Amino acid sequence: MTAAIEYRDVSKSYGDKSVIEHLDLAVDRGAFVTVVGSSGCGKTTILKMVNGLVAPTSGAVLVDGEDIREKDQVELRRNIGYAIQGSILFSHMTVERNISYVPSLLNRGNRERTRAAVTRWMRIVGLPEELRDRYPDELSGGQQQRVGIARALAASPDILLMDEPFGAVDEITRGQLQTELRRIHDETGITVMFVTHDVSEALRLGTMVLAMEGGKVQQYAPPEELLRDPATDFVRRLVERERRRCSLPDDLLGRCEHSGAGSVGGDASSDLETIA
Amino acid sequence: MSDALTGVWETLASQAPFFSELLWEHLQISATAILIALVVGGVVGILISEFQRAARPTLGVINFLYTIPSISMLGFLIPFSGVGDATAVIALTVYALLPMAKSMHTGLANVDPAILEAARGMGGTRMQVLARIKLPLAAPVVMSGVRSMVTMTIALAGIASFIGAGGLGVAIYRGITTNNAAMTMAGSLLIALLALVADFLLGLVERGVVRHRRRTRGGLVAAVASCVVALAFAGYGLLAPATGKDTIRIATKPMTEQYILGDMLKLLIEQDTGLKVEMTQGVGGGTSNIEPAMEKGDYDLYPEYTGTGWNLVLGNDGTYSEGQFDTLRQEYADRLNMRWVGMYGFNDTYGIAVRSDVAERYGLRSYSDLAAVSGRLTFGAEYDFFERKDGYQALCDAYGLGFATTMDLDIGLKYQALSEGRIDAAVVFTTDGQLVSPGVTVLEDNRHFFPSYRCGTVVRQEALDAHPELVAVLERLDGAITDEDMARMNHEVESDGKDPETVAEEFLRGRGLLSSGGGQP
Repeated sequence: MTAAIEYRDVSKSYGDKSVIEHLDLAVDRGAFVTVVGSSGCGKTTILKMVNGLVAPTSGAVLVDGEDIREKDQVELRRNIGYAIQGSILFSHMTVERNISYVPSLLNRGNRERTRAAVTRWMRIVGLPEELRDRYPDELSGGQQQRVGIARALAASPDILLMDEPFGAVDEITRGQLQTELRRIHDETGITVMFVTHDVSEALRLGTMVLAMEGGKVQQYAPPEELLRDPATDFVRRLVERERRRCSLPDDLLGRCEHSGAGSVGGDASSDLETIA
Repeated sequence: MSDALTGVWETLASQAPFFSELLWEHLQISATAILIALVVGGVVGILISEFQRAARPTLGVINFLYTIPSISMLGFLIPFSGVGDATAVIALTVYALLPMAKSMHTGLANVDPAILEAARGMGGTRMQVLARIKLPLAAPVVMSGVRSMVTMTIALAGIASFIGAGGLGVAIYRGITTNNAAMTMAGSLLIALLALVADFLLGLVERGVVRHRRRTRGGLVAAVASCVVALAFAGYGLLAPATGKDTIRIATKPMTEQYILGDMLKLLIEQDTGLKVEMTQGVGGGTSNIEPAMEKGDYDLYPEYTGTGWNLVLGNDGTYSEGQFDTLRQEYADRLNMRWVGMYGFNDTYGIAVRSDVAERYGLRSYSDLAAVSGRLTFGAEYDFFERKDGYQALCDAYGLGFATTMDLDIGLKYQALSEGRIDAAVVFTTDGQLVSPGVTVLEDNRHFFPSYRCGTVVRQEALDAHPELVAVLERLDGAITDEDMARMNHEVESDGKDPETVAEEFLRGRGLLSSGGGQP
């Protein structure tokens, strides 16, 4: 099976400044990859390489086994959901028009179908129907983020790119949104790349976690493996606090409800069986 | 103040059709310029936002155009587009381009780049991102630019009359020329009102754009659409050919007597022939702009003075005297294909007037007397006089005059400047109505410096060929008006506040040239 997303010896530099160095990575279809690292580590850059907003200086990015440089960029982007930092909405459009932005670009199908899709996605992300004709400035922060997710998903893409989408909301809303997102991922089997600077969010959400520092991959592994067996000093420091939330020995951390790894859903626990 | 307002109100009320026509013309001229600027400026603004590298040079050029004074701009344009509405629209459009292009550029440049990246990243093409995201988000900034552009254009359209286009500037200019302050104020007031109303309507549209509420969106679209339709409709009237074959186009210079003469010609032509008359009163710059327009065929006839024709139009040197009239006629026919038909009889030549207290203090009688004290005096004349060959410099050379300072003044403002003491001496015309005023003394041209300026109608030969019946009509004014008649009529307009039309009609009726029902069918 070809990987959903694949980076082949990808480097990126702006002038003399190197941002990404020799990245080799394959993201499996259906994976939920969280990308974590301090700001400026290149995590947003590798996300934008997937939909062609940033072009690599050398190397190739493949989506569904095809080099994206060979693809029509507009076509490529329409098949990839994209939620930007803070999920900023188009302030001059209603909720409905925000969500149907991509379907309307495609000019595919009729109004009825678009309306039905909007209804469906509003239900999936947990938005009450009466918000349909509201403008973004009439919504709460959490509602705006949900619209942002629905907008990214509305054209039923195979890949969803999210760049710190929950940056601007309170802790409780954030928790709800994380749960919703995992549920959506579980239901649709979509491949997700999710950039965050919050380690606990990365460990909670990802089926795979990509830890980055200085433009290099530090570790690419399931969350429990990061906790149990940090590959580098950077990763160790990164997960230190999450480890301390639990008093279990390192090899049993994955079983702990309090650790980031423990709260992960079904597929993670099956991995734990093998560890135990 | 209340007297002035009453005067303005009476002027407006008594000449409602005149003002409403000017208002409509004003609307047409500004609307056409606004519409063109909206489209061209908008497109330029979009292009320089999409291709940032072109922004600086483009805005630089537009900025430069914007700094050209409006009078110079019109001067530059006249050789290319002649006098009239086209030039006015071009000039107004040029000025309106800057605020339009700039606000479009600023509005688009200030859209959050993160939003644009999102729109692009989700698969919007360049055009889709522009049309669906950028333009709507830039709309508030663009709208405020449009508002100031529209107000500015409506105000600036007041100068259109200077080059023979219509509009409320005609009332302002005519008021200044004929010493009718109420007329000037009425014209200004209507321009201000028009600008305010336009701004108010656009304010409603802008609120719709900014609040972007769904329930008002339908209304907003309708409002914008109806604005555009109204503007287009107004503009169409302007651009559609207004004159048919059976229309005689008369131009006059911005002088009271020319207004009166123009009205006389109109009344007589309309009474005696089946022709329609289209009048452009008070073309700014006078001969300098009317004559080239005559050559282009924009106007068919206008009242001209022999001396002006000799020196300014034909470019002959020397002082014109009436013994050279046959040569003048011949040269007009040969070189310009125009004819002098009907010499009215009066001679509106130059004279020098000084304030009476100045004349008394220095004992001034003649130009030679004036030469002795001119170093202490300020001299005023219209800009024409400083430029023409038989004008200021020649006068100074002939009498050894050397004034301390000189001042460019509009013809209509000279007597006011004299009485206010801003100037001590001025060039006047021998038919000036205000010469009867006791505060002014006319000096004697003891060396006969000034040429003769008999007044008559200059007509394009082509117009005479097409309408031979014109000759008889124009000849009816031959020898009909003396210097005294003209000065009195000028006085009636400038000091008694009568309409030029009324004065013209009364005079013609008094001479039996107009039948009782004529002129106002």
